[in-house]
Order: sequence, then structure tokens, then C-alpha cells
Amino acid sequence: SVDRMERKIFIFKSIWVTVDGKSLMEQLRGEALKFHKPGENYKTEGYVVTPNTMNLLKKHLEETGGQVRTRFPPEPNGILHIGHAKAINFNFGFAKANNGICFLRYDDTNPEKEEEKYFTAIREMVEWLGYKPYAVTHASDNFQLLYDLAVDLIRRGHAYVCHQRGEELKGHNVPPSPWRERPVEESLILFDRMRKGMFAEGEVTLRMKMVMEDGKMDPVAYRIKYTPHHRTGDTWCIYPTYDYTHCLCDSIENITHSLCTKEFQSRRSSYFWLCNALDVYCPVQWEYGRLNLTYTVVSKRKIIKLVETGIVRDWDDPRLFTLTALRRRGFPPQAINNFCARVGVTVAQTTMEPHLLEACVREVLNDTAPRAMAVLEPLKVTITNLPTNKEVRVPDFPANEAKGSHVVPFSKTIFIEKSDFREVMEKGYKRLTPDQPVGLRHAGYVISVQRVIKDGCGNVCELEVTCASSDSVEKPKAFIQWVSNPLQCEVRLYERLFLHKNPEDPAEVPAGFLTDINPYSLTVIESALVDRSVGKSKVFDKFQFERVGYFSVDPDSTSEKLVFNRTVTLKEDPGKI
Amino acid sequence: MGDPVANYTSRLQQQEGEIKLLQDEIERLRDPQELNFTSSQLDELREENSRLKYRLNILKRSLQEEMSQNDNEMLNINQRLQQIFGEAINTAYPGLENPPLTVTPNQQAKFGDYQCNSAMAMAQVMKAKGRKISPREIAEKIVQNIPNNELIERTEIAGPGFINVHLKRMFVSKLLSSLLVNGVKPPSLKKKKKVVVDFSSPNIAKEMHVGHLRSTIIGDSMCRLFEFLGYEVLRLNHVGDWGTQFGMLIAHLQDKFPNYLSVSPPIGDLQAFYKESKKRFDEDEEFKRRAYQCVVKLQSKEPDFIKAWNLICDVSRNEFQKVYNCLDIRIEERGESYYQDMMTAVIKEFEEKGLVQLDEGRKIVFAPGQSIPLTIVKSDGGYTYDTSDLAAIKNRIFDEKADIIIYVTDSGQAVHFQVVFAAAQLIGWYDPKVIRVEHAGFGVVLGEDKKKFKTRSGDTVRLMDLLEEGLKRSMDKLKEKGRDKVLTPEDLVKAQRAVAFGCIKYADLSHNRINDYVFSFDKMLDDRGNTAAYLLYAFTRIRSIARLANIQEATLRTAVETTEVLLDHEKEWKLGKCILRFPEILQKITDDLLLHTLCDYLYELATTFTEFYDSCYCVEKDRQTGEVVKINMCRMLLCEATAAVMAKGFDILGINPVERM
Repeated sequence: SVDRMERKIFIFKSIWVTVDGKSLMEQLRGEALKFHKPGENYKTEGYVVTPNTMNLLKKHLEETGGQVRTRFPPEPNGILHIGHAKAINFNFGFAKANNGICFLRYDDTNPEKEEEKYFTAIREMVEWLGYKPYAVTHASDNFQLLYDLAVDLIRRGHAYVCHQRGEELKGHNVPPSPWRERPVEESLILFDRMRKGMFAEGEVTLRMKMVMEDGKMDPVAYRIKYTPHHRTGDTWCIYPTYDYTHCLCDSIENITHSLCTKEFQSRRSSYFWLCNALDVYCPVQWEYGRLNLTYTVVSKRKIIKLVETGIVRDWDDPRLFTLTALRRRGFPPQAINNFCARVGVTVAQTTMEPHLLEACVREVLNDTAPRAMAVLEPLKVTITNLPTNKEVRVPDFPANEAKGSHVVPFSKTIFIEKSDFREVMEKGYKRLTPDQPVGLRHAGYVISVQRVIKDGCGNVCELEVTCASSDSVEKPKAFIQWVSNPLQCEVRLYERLFLHKNPEDPAEVPAGFLTDINPYSLTVIESALVDRSVGKSKVFDKFQFERVGYFSVDPDSTSEKLVFNRTVTLKEDPGKI
Repeated sequence: MGDPVANYTSRLQQQEGEIKLLQDEIERLRDPQELNFTSSQLDELREENSRLKYRLNILKRSLQEEMSQNDNEMLNINQRLQQIFGEAINTAYPGLENPPLTVTPNQQAKFGDYQCNSAMAMAQVMKAKGRKISPREIAEKIVQNIPNNELIERTEIAGPGFINVHLKRMFVSKLLSSLLVNGVKPPSLKKKKKVVVDFSSPNIAKEMHVGHLRSTIIGDSMCRLFEFLGYEVLRLNHVGDWGTQFGMLIAHLQDKFPNYLSVSPPIGDLQAFYKESKKRFDEDEEFKRRAYQCVVKLQSKEPDFIKAWNLICDVSRNEFQKVYNCLDIRIEERGESYYQDMMTAVIKEFEEKGLVQLDEGRKIVFAPGQSIPLTIVKSDGGYTYDTSDLAAIKNRIFDEKADIIIYVTDSGQAVHFQVVFAAAQLIGWYDPKVIRVEHAGFGVVLGEDKKKFKTRSGDTVRLMDLLEEGLKRSMDKLKEKGRDKVLTPEDLVKAQRAVAFGCIKYADLSHNRINDYVFSFDKMLDDRGNTAAYLLYAFTRIRSIARLANIQEATLRTAVETTEVLLDHEKEWKLGKCILRFPEILQKITDDLLLHTLCDYLYELATTFTEFYDSCYCVEKDRQTGEVVKINMCRMLLCEATAAVMAKGFDILGINPVERM
């Protein structure tokens, strides 16, 4: 089994070495990606050049000074997940790698779905990943300008007010709107009436005269919603759509590279069309592959289901792969960024397994999480011959003692992991048995069993041992962790939330993802014992509990009782005896 | 067998327990909140309700936006303040229906520019409803709820609960600039509306008298007002051109000018002609019989008789036209004869709807709330004024599609019109909420002796004579002031006519039309006080300021675009605000048709201008050489704005100002 595991790691490493080789920054240099230089938009294949393109590009260059400008444009209607981490890394990273700037733009055009809490959460996560937006903008900042442009679009004959109902526009072979060729003046008046509240919701829309790649005709630019907007209040009752807003906001912000996932490829021509129809600067849309993760779900609706059914506690339950969940579980942001770098910025959609992400986490935590000793299932051990209580100095990072150390008490009464003692010897078992001594890590002592004390049921409840200085005896086969005069803590152990790789795939899970829950995804140990060195830790502080795993302080911790989440186990497969 | 008493006791206790349980349940069910009642339908309705509320708010704002659109029209500050206070009151006291809303301009600067006096009246209203709140408290709450707005600088509460409003200086300044740029524009109309004004309306073959003069002047001014406001105006002269007297006139004509069909009869004095025929009619039975025959033939439209009738009418028309020419009146003649053929149908309609009663051979109609009936058919089968006025109102509503119909006649006919209007509503021709039909009555003209206006010899004063005398008096006045030595003969005549006819009109219009008014040339030609003479002088003086400072028209045009109208001086501020009250004056006179308010305003504007001009230098000249040293362009703009509003006011009053006098 050792071999199997090592082979796995090897394979994993070989995957990322091939894409990794270069740092994220190296990968993201414009040349490496074959992206256009600012102002040379026209060199991109498929970019539409109009008679005014060169003037607009000239003006664009004057305004930006030739700087690379990107934006991360989430809709503020949900929590960011691991897939967004790629978008954040790509947009912010690309700008950074090319000495450019990146905007955080909330695409807040749908007032019905937005909530204030999402705005702050999104920004917090961007900053947590270590990126600072050049500016935080909102699509809604441009509502007036977008409206004026829509009026202009009508004037130019590229948009019309349509009375077809939403249901008439659904499905295939939708007939063209009978209102398509109505006079411009009529559309202008009707659009003004839309703004003034003179139509019911759904009664009319403003549509753009354009056929999309997938054959969809005349996408809607504006629709009526009698809903207040969290930023513009009760100013508007017509709201622009994604198709209308997105490229124009990019244009307004002088974005050079509009990076988006591949699903938006079918909207590329509408993107170019609208900018050109209005004769405004047209950025270049570049698509990249979406990042998917197995053994999880990330869609907002599904997470809500999980929360509602009580399967997980909230959006940041450490078993989820939202960014807040990952933070709570103790994943360091660098690890997530490294993971994104390793996934690479290829156009192909990539589906990754969580253990690859976890490997990145271990890599970072190995260098950053100080060691501590914890016993999850304690067995009391009394050292009968310990001369005096003493203190033991423990290095924070045994591999590099220069990085500091801490002190833990060592007294006659210590606790060891129950599984580190076996009454009956078994072949290959290297730890404590009545006949086999074991070393105590960092203490400089080897203990030997003197007496096994059992409770009424015959279960071992305490050991009496003698100790000897490790210098004076033969080197034991193993060293185990121990605690003395410890803190009682709660420890939460996590496993995969889903049993199947693709819980959303009906072929794998016919009854739906809610039926695929791993019943052992959460184990809570109410009274684990941890050495006193963790006593002053703060929320999200991370430790390696020697021989147990990486742990992070949960926000549920109180001054009386710390709560630790297991971030990852020490090794990918903790099945070793 | 158990103890029955114990049995019953336990049953009773059980029942009482159940009653208690049920009572609790009822109590619980009474409070829907407590029930924690959820239903998807309820949620849907709540959601729909919130969306409807949102839409309502958007619609309200759009309405306001449309009302205040059109930057180039003048803003009615008073109306805007009323909107703002209306909103504030609604927010402060949402339950109050039709809260009293009064905003008035303040005369005294220390009380601010405008004042809202609603708090006192609201306290009364609320007291009547059993809520005792002090007006001051109400005023405070109103002030707290004043919505964001563009024009209020600050408010303060004075006395028992007056809310004094101070306007933003920049706001007033911008309005003045826009007035100068765009000119004096009326508020835009949502829909082109049509107004019929029935005025002047003398009788054929009779002289026009001073009563007709009042109707002509007042009616014309109302027409001008509505024309300025952008209405389609139909000016109707409802002349008395039909009736039995025409039989007698035609019979007399036939006798006196037998060849009238080929040669136009030289009737110089129709009045005398009328008197002669009347004398014969009263004394000569044969003539009387023939006169009746003529009526029948005229009514059956026999061409010879129609021709005779037309000849007679033409004589009168020529006379009327002389008056109209002097007073610059346009009017379309549509006399009683016009409605003859419609009357039969009107009577039929009343009969079919069962609204007609027979009364000693007459057909009468009682309208609700009116004690006097309308006689629609006389006992001899003839029609009356009542009949023709009913036919006329129907024609004006259905054929002319009027939105407003105004009758300008003396107040003596008030009852007659009330009954006609009531009957028209009774039969369902119009809804007063949709169509405004109004009798704008006026008092009689008195001589300086406060008695009925007569010549010295006791005859009715001929209008033309009166106008001639006006011209003479006006020339005397101009000469008395030595204007004949300054003005060219051409300008002098222009000034003479402007002063004469302007004064006659203004004297009439500047008095509340409802009251009787004393006709006095001396008073109306006085160049002090609220007279046209004063205003015309004031106007020419303002116009001359720029001319005397050698400021070219083009310079002023440029200044309008580039110079801000500062209002730093107290008198500048006062004048600026006064100028901007024009729209609220227009609104008021459109509502109550009392044109003297406009005259009072123009007089106030002229005196406010004088105050300003006396304390603020517009043009500084060297005392010795008379050369222009300095021009205060922003004050020149105030002069321009004043003149522009005054000119528009004169225009509405039908007064023709002259550049020089």
C-alpha cells in the first residue's frame, strides 16, 4: 500500500510539472498566451474592424497609456467558489504579470437576485486571495450612460421595442418579432414609456437587431422590473441584461482583454456587434476553460439545498468548495493560487480532483503551519519514575529549528493516542506494547509499560510506565506524540461530502446529489487534548498536529474552548498502520 | 348509578373546559400574525403589492417629470412649492384626505420669499376629527418631511405655524437666465385643448353700448390668454340676428327701398330706421300683419327675404366692425340664426328624454336645482333665447368639440346661463368634470355720477363716440406733456391710439369684472396709479434704457448667454422674484378668469422695477459729458426680463405698447 500511494503522488506531480514548469506569472505574460498587445485589438482573429476602429483604438490608447486592463466581473448573487478562484487568478494575475490593472466589477444588473452580503463577501474573498482591485466598480454605476446608449442604439436603427411575451421567445424556431421594423420614433417613445413605468412587467422589452452564433435572434437589452436596486434605489424600473451591459461596461472601463469562460464564446459576436453598433471602443473577448472539481457541487441553488436540508451548516461549511468554506477549513490562499497556476490557463475545460488541491495545501502548510502535539483519543499514562515535572522545548518546524520553538509541560501524567498502545503485539506494529517501549517525541524519554489498568469491562483505561532517557537505552522503533497538562479542544474531522465523483451526473447518481451524501463526512471529537502551545491562537491559525494532520482554528472557538478543523491529513491516504 | 350531582358537576366542568379551549382558539384565530399563516398565494400577493407600489412611485415621478419637462417654459414657482409641501404633508400626515394646501408669495422680505400656511388649517381639520395638535407642531413635522428639491434654500417657522420659505438664489438666477434665453413661454399643454369664447354679441339693428364694450374687451383678453397658453380658441360673436323684429324691418325696407334687391339701400342710421319701423309696427295693424308674414317667409328662407335680412345685418356689421377695428378685435360672427335649424332637433331630444313639461301651451324644461324653467317653445310655437342657447351649447360641445366654453355677458344673465348649463348636464351633453362651461359675468358700467352710463342728454352713449372722445383726450394729454414736440407725427398718432384704446381696455380689465365699474376718462388717462397710461410710460422707459446707453440688440443677446443674473442687491432679488411670478398669475387667471389679477401684477412689477431702478445703477454716465462710463450688464438683463414679461402681459390684455411715447 505504501507503493501505491507513492505512485499516486508521483503521477500527480508529473501532471503538474508538465503544465507547471513555469510560474503563474510566466504563464500569464501576454506573449505566452498569444494575446494581443493593448491597442492592437484588430490583430486578433475575428475582431471586427469598422472605419472608425483605428480612431477609437487611438483614443483608447491615449486614455490608458497602453496599459493592460482586465476585470473580474462576478454577479453579486452568490458566494464565490473554487471555479471563481481561477477567474480571479487569471484576471488579476494577467494584469499583474503585464504591469496592468484589474477592476473588480460587480455585474449588478439584476436587482431581484442581489443582496448586500454578497458584495462584501466577494470583495473579502478577492482580497483574501491576495489581490487588490485597482478600483471596485458596479455595472449599475453606468445605468444612466447605458440608458443613453440604448436610446442611441434605437436612433441608429439597431434596437426596437418588442411586445412579444417571454414565453413566445422560448424554445426553437422562434418567429421573428413582428415589431422588428417599426419606426425608430415609435421605439423611442415606447422605450421612454418603459422607463416611466407605463407598461407592466414582461409586457415589452427592448431588443437588439442581431443574430447570435447559436441562431438566437435579437437578444433582449432591457426589461421591466418593478424592483428596487440596492444601489440605485427606486430610480429605475428598466434594467439592462447581461448581453447588453457586459461589453459596454468593458468598453467604458477601457478593458483591453475581456477574459471569460468558454460558455461565453457564443456571445463573442454579439459583444463585438454591440460595441460597433454604438461606435464605441471595442475590447477583445478571450475565453479560457472553466475549472471544475469532482466530488462536490458549486452551484448556488444546490448549495442552498444542502444548507436547507441541514446536510451542511452554512455556505462556509468546510466540506463545501466555496472560497469561504475553504478558508474556514484552513486552506491557505497561496495554496489555492498555486492550484490555479498548476491547472494552467488552457482553453480546455479542466476537471480536477480535490486531492490535487489538497496536495497544494499540504505543500504550503508544511512550510507555514507550526507543529503542535494533539491526542484525539486519549489514554492516560502515569510515569511512575519521573523525577520532577519539567518543561520540554519543541521546535516549531523540526526540519528547520531556526524557525523557532515553543515549550510544553512534561509531568508524571501524560496522555497518548489510544491507538498508540496495543496490549497484544502484532507483526509490524512499532509502537507501545507491554513488551515494546516507545519514544516520546521531543521529550527525550522512552517509556516502557509497567502495569495495564483496566476498567470493570476489561477495557484499558490507564497505563503505568517507567521512563528512561533516550540516550541511555536502545533507540525505540517509533516515537509517538503525547500531551501533558493539555487543553481540551473540539476537533472536527472532515471527509468528502459526496460518495461519487460527479454527484450531479444522473448516470452516476440517479436519485440526485442529495442522495449521495457521505454519512461520515463529518466526525466531531468533543474532547481532544492539545498541548498548551496552541492556547493563544486566533481564528484561522494553522497547525500541524504531529502525526495527525493539519488543523485550523474554527470561528466557532470560544475563550473557553478552541475548535479545530482538520484541513487535510498529513498524507493523502491516512490508511497507514 | 352514580351520584347525579357529581355526574352533572363533572360534565359541567368538562364543558366549561371545552368552552375555555374554544375561546382561546377563537382568540388565537383572530390575530392572523399570531397564526403564522403562510400560503404561497399570500406571498404572491405581497410580492405583487410591493411591485405595484414600486410602479406607482415610478409613475408618480414620471408624471412630475413630464409636468416639469420642457426647460424652456417658465416654471410656476408657487405650483412647484405646492407640490413640495403637498408631498411633505402627505408624508407627515398620510391619513389626511385633501389636506388644506396654501402657498403664497410673501410681501415682506423678512418673512422669506413664500409662505406655506397649511399648518393652521390642518390643525382645524384635525381638531374637528378629534386630534388636537398645535399648528406649530404640524408645521415642524411638515418641515421635517420636505422632500429633496431644487429650489428651497431653507425654511423657518414663524408665529403660530407659518412656514417661511427662502428660495435658492442660484435657482432664481437660473430661471431668469432661462427666461431671457427662451423668452416668455407658456407651460406646455398635455393635449391641445379647444376653447370657445362667446363674447361681444351685440344685436343687429341696434347700437353697441358700453355693456357690449365690456364684453368685447374682457372676452378678447380671455381669448388672448388662452391663445398664449396654446389652446385652440374659437372667438364667437353670438349676435342677435334672428327674431320677429326682422319681419318688421324687412317690411319697412320693402316699403322704403322697393328696389333693394338691385340697389343697396343707403341705410346710414339703422337705429333711426329701426325706430321708424317700430313706430309703424305699433301703430299700423296692416303693417304688423305684413311684418309677421315677413317673419314666416324669412324663416322659410325665401331668397328675397334672406337678401333683405342680409342687407340689414350688413349695415350693423359695418358699424360693429369700426369698433372692432379700433380695439383690434378678431371675432367670428355666428349669430342666433346659425342655430335655427338645430333647435328643432334639440326640442325633440328633450321631448324624447321626457324632460319637457307643458305649461299653458309652452314647452318648458326644469333643470335640477333651478327654480326657473327654460321655455324651449313659446305658446305660439316660436323659439326663445333659451332654445337657441341650448342649441348653441350642444353645437359647441359636439360639433366644435370644445373643452372649455365661456360666455362673457353681463351678470344679469347669470341665472339664464345657470339654467341652460344645468339643462345641458341634465340631458347628458357634458360632465362638468370633463368640460368646463362657465358664465363669466360682469357688472354694469356707471358714469362718474355712479349712475347708469348715459350722455348728458340722457341717451345711451354710442360706442364710436366714446372711442372718438378717448382719442381726443389722449391727444390732449400727450400734448399737455409736450410729446408732440418730441415725437414724429407718425409716432404721435401711434402713441395716441395706444394710450386711448389701451386706457379704455385697461380701465375695464383692471377692475374685478364682477363689480360695477365707473367709467372715467380722467382716471384712466392719469399717468399715476394703476392705469395703462402709467404702465405704458413705465414700459417705454425700460425699453429706452438700453437704447439710451447705446447697447445693441446683439450685445444683449450675447449677454443673455454669458452673463449670470446676479441678485445680490435686495431690490434686484425682489424684482427677480416678481418677474418669475408671471406663470403663477397666468395660472390664477386661467382658473378664475379674473383678469384684474394680471393688471395688479403688472402694476406691481412696474413699481418693483421703479424701486430697483431708483436704487440700482444700470448705466452710469459722466455727469458733465453724458457719456456712458459703465454698464451693469446683469442689471440690464433684469430690465430686459421685466420688459419681456410686461410686453407679454400687455399682449394678453390686448394693449399695444409703443416703443416711444
